[in-house]
Amino acid sequence: MDHQPLASKLASLCLISQCKLKEILVLCGDKKDLIIDPTLIKPLERICGVSWLRQHGIDKIYKMDPQLGSTANKIRVYFIPACILKYKCVLDQISSVLSQNPALADQKCFHIIIVPKVLTTYDSVLESKGLYGIVKLHTFSWELMALDEQLLSLELPFLFKQLFVEQNHSLLSSISMSLWSMFHVTGKPRTIFSVGKLSASVLDMLEIYNETYARDFLDTHSSKEIGALIVIDRNQDYASSLLTPATYSGLLSELFNINCGHLDLNVKETKLKKGKLNFGSEEEAGSSKNTTMTLDSNIDTLYGEIKHRHFSEVLSVLSSKAKLLKNEDIKALGIQEIKQFVATKLQQVSLFKQNLVNHVLACETIISEMSNKFENLKLAETEMLNNRNKKSNFTFVDENFGTDIHIYNSLRLMCLLSLTQSLTYDEYNALISKYLLAFGYKYLYVFNNLINAGLLVQPSSPKLSLNISNLGNLSDRLPKWQNEFQSTANKLKQLPSQADKVGKACPSYVFHGGYVPLIAVLCNALLTSDTFADALAKLSAVSDLRVGGTILEKFKDGIETLNEKLSNMKLQSDLEFGCKDVRGLARVLKSEPNKGGCFPLKPKTVLVYVIGGVNYAEVAACDVIQTNTGSKIIVASDCIASGADLMAANT
Amino acid sequence: MDDDDYWNTSETKAKAFSFDDDVLSTQEILAIGQKSYASPGQSEESLFNNISISTVQSAAIPLNSLVSSKVLDLILLAQSGKDPSKETKYEPEQTVAMTLKRLTLGRSCSLHVHRSMKSKTELLDGALAIGDGNAVLTVVLFLIQTLNKKLVYELLSSRPVALNHYIAFLQNEGKISELTDLLTMLGRSPDAAMYQYQHTVKTQGNNVDVLLRKLGNLLANHFNQPGVDQHQAKMIADYVKLLEWQKHVNKPELQYRSVIEWLAYNCAHHWHEGAGNAMSPLTLCQRHQITPLQYDWVVLNVHAKSGKWDIVESLFTKKDWFGRTTISSNIPMETLLSRLSQLQASKQLLATCLNKVASSDDRLRLAHMYKIHAVVIETLAKQKDRTALTNYKMTLNPQSEEYILAENTLRDNSIKWKN
Repeated sequence: MDHQPLASKLASLCLISQCKLKEILVLCGDKKDLIIDPTLIKPLERICGVSWLRQHGIDKIYKMDPQLGSTANKIRVYFIPACILKYKCVLDQISSVLSQNPALADQKCFHIIIVPKVLTTYDSVLESKGLYGIVKLHTFSWELMALDEQLLSLELPFLFKQLFVEQNHSLLSSISMSLWSMFHVTGKPRTIFSVGKLSASVLDMLEIYNETYARDFLDTHSSKEIGALIVIDRNQDYASSLLTPATYSGLLSELFNINCGHLDLNVKETKLKKGKLNFGSEEEAGSSKNTTMTLDSNIDTLYGEIKHRHFSEVLSVLSSKAKLLKNEDIKALGIQEIKQFVATKLQQVSLFKQNLVNHVLACETIISEMSNKFENLKLAETEMLNNRNKKSNFTFVDENFGTDIHIYNSLRLMCLLSLTQSLTYDEYNALISKYLLAFGYKYLYVFNNLINAGLLVQPSSPKLSLNISNLGNLSDRLPKWQNEFQSTANKLKQLPSQADKVGKACPSYVFHGGYVPLIAVLCNALLTSDTFADALAKLSAVSDLRVGGTILEKFKDGIETLNEKLSNMKLQSDLEFGCKDVRGLARVLKSEPNKGGCFPLKPKTVLVYVIGGVNYAEVAACDVIQTNTGSKIIVASDCIASGADLMAANT
Repeated sequence: MDDDDYWNTSETKAKAFSFDDDVLSTQEILAIGQKSYASPGQSEESLFNNISISTVQSAAIPLNSLVSSKVLDLILLAQSGKDPSKETKYEPEQTVAMTLKRLTLGRSCSLHVHRSMKSKTELLDGALAIGDGNAVLTVVLFLIQTLNKKLVYELLSSRPVALNHYIAFLQNEGKISELTDLLTMLGRSPDAAMYQYQHTVKTQGNNVDVLLRKLGNLLANHFNQPGVDQHQAKMIADYVKLLEWQKHVNKPELQYRSVIEWLAYNCAHHWHEGAGNAMSPLTLCQRHQITPLQYDWVVLNVHAKSGKWDIVESLFTKKDWFGRTTISSNIPMETLLSRLSQLQASKQLLATCLNKVASSDDRLRLAHMYKIHAVVIETLAKQKDRTALTNYKMTLNPQSEEYILAENTLRDNSIKWKN
């Protein structure tokens, strides 16, 4: 099954999702209504269409609404994401239907499909509400979706909030599951790295799936298509989320809502405008429907050409395309040629024109809303990254909070400053006061959430630091060593010395030459190393780096099963089942630098999976590495999330 | 889109991104793109009527050549969390490792065979080592059911990840008093206070009195604990102050509005009321320590948006010794200029602002950016830069006022041009 190109295989993963859904619908009875949470519509469209649903017994489709009244059929199939509030809302609705018609209780007519999985607590809630046995819960773990060439997403946008803000890892196994399924299609990569705690757990759980289903795993050979997998936690590189992107697709995600690869071209009410205070007499909110753009190079080739470009180049590309169109004037053609044109190219050309118009409108919006502040913002960000001019950087942020404050983007600036140069107690509080005056005191808790997520470092109060009883708690709250960010970033060569002189061959162009995203550094290290030891040396500054995959087996004394592993485990240590801390490997590698024989990578294809959302600038940076190294990099995540999305998860 | 003014400004702004010169303007591209082409907004948006073409197109590989049917069955089995049919016999002896594996795989299992403290602890540590949050929380809830609270709290206090899962659970379940007890017992009352606050404001109904009472309680009982951040406590006290004041004023449109939103309302509707008066903008500023910068910003936006430029000018300009008009504002000049330009202030006002910029290079840059021709011409004249001024003249519309000004300036004999 290896003769198909990788891209088609990845795009066809949706067929497996379809099969999984079919398996569930078969269990739900013959004729039924589907009641779907609105956020799941777009993802479901990538899996199946209405006619497919009809073929599988869905009669009517409703949007989930707490006020939803009676529906056409007796059997109701609810389709919701794994959010406890939405789940409880559905249960309340079922209870009220039951109270009107108690006879339904015995008729097996309530089903809830939960994406990506049913949690154990959901069963307890069901039981406590007296609905156990009446309502049936189904896990639907859909596969990664191919949103664009080499861009995969699980489309679970609520995951960042759960994993990093609430630190609730209940859905983490879904990431392992998505990898496990995918490897049945692509084969298992020989080399696997993880960066961060959650990533290590994902690999451990992946290994549990592998072990459990090992005897049935037909293809035990390593992948001929993916040479290496890197799994990384979002919190290992927050800077890439906080910085303002310079690429076209990055800026699109700053201004427009993008859901499952579909952009809502709302040029009047952009995300930038909506997040600011409105001082009255704004033009009436247009309720008119907006054009939707599909951000997929396979469908919109023009998008493919400009998505990764620095924004300053985009209009000239669009302009040259327009000139080409102009030359292709239909009047110059003869009758036969016109016929030929209509039959073969007309549709293509008019689609192209529509795309062109949409991209120009998007560009105009970006220019009119961002260009005024762009230069100063860019400058301040670069200065923060390099730990220069702390005072004027703070003044810049403070002034932003006092004037044109944005509910998410201003927090982003504050977080960036805090992580790169740290804030004093007074600076920190001055910003909080201004934010609360602008958006309401109720948002005080947001700052605690940001601290929990590691996006913000709380400076200790001058009074508090003298209080010895608080010392235990304090040690992890004290501002970290001020230059920690810069010292790590410098070791990994993430900070080009002259940001404004950076060319296109440096992935840092995605942030105006100021910063190379960590995932680009990781990919580059793996793709340019001749030995395993070489790769590890390049990445020695990466904290919490682990190695897994078949390479790990070479280091094992014997293969331990999970049972053995758990029983031999020391108290409160890491499992190291699917991956192993690299520090333990140094000695072995000294005598045999390329143990395992995995380097140089073959095939030269890397899959990088970001847990907690990846952004378009990072994807563009990987594209540069791909070109520089003549390789292929596939980026996957649980969702595509801009910095503002990360901030929104804390509110 | 054909509004000339808009076009000019957005073209100016385009320059800030430094586009090449031979590039078509966006207007020209749009003209080409929209030629013989229907409405751009033919969007269809109803549940499912634009079944993605992409699915049909790109799903080129038939399922059976993607994965074998045996593998597909395996994938479906893994999703369902059911036991493989061959393994139906339940093994009588349940080890900790087996339980954990079943939990991680999402298979049904009963934890109640684990009755000794040792196996309970092993369960928890095993779940933490694997890192499956679902397993961790399941075990924690099992411990809560079967151990006394003190023992559970002891286990949790040295296992922060497990504790976080339990906190998230209590939060989502709205069990805030249990959460408070837990955190207080662990010596984390400041955190308890903040979780309570978050819960209170997120579940606030429409009754201000209830909210006020809850906030009062929080302040009296939780935000006065040792270790609580003083600034946080002050913010909540300010919140109470604001709500009380809003209750007193009793305007439905102001309920739950932020201080700045309220200030904007007062500026728009009670501009002339003096300090001390309930609705006066100044009273609000005093009570809530609104900084002069924030105040200026609100005043500027509110009055400019409602077209009261006279108020804006009277507030932000003053006459200096020589009777010249000059700008006086807490808003830094570049920010002010940018905002004034967005608000479509008069060229006159923009010019007055620009004249306040001390460095002639900065002034020139900004004057170019906002197309304040008079200032560009005047500054170039002061710099005695005839070449630059001549070039600039070429970019202007002949016969326009600024063109004539440029010409007259170039002809001015009193200027000693440097080139």
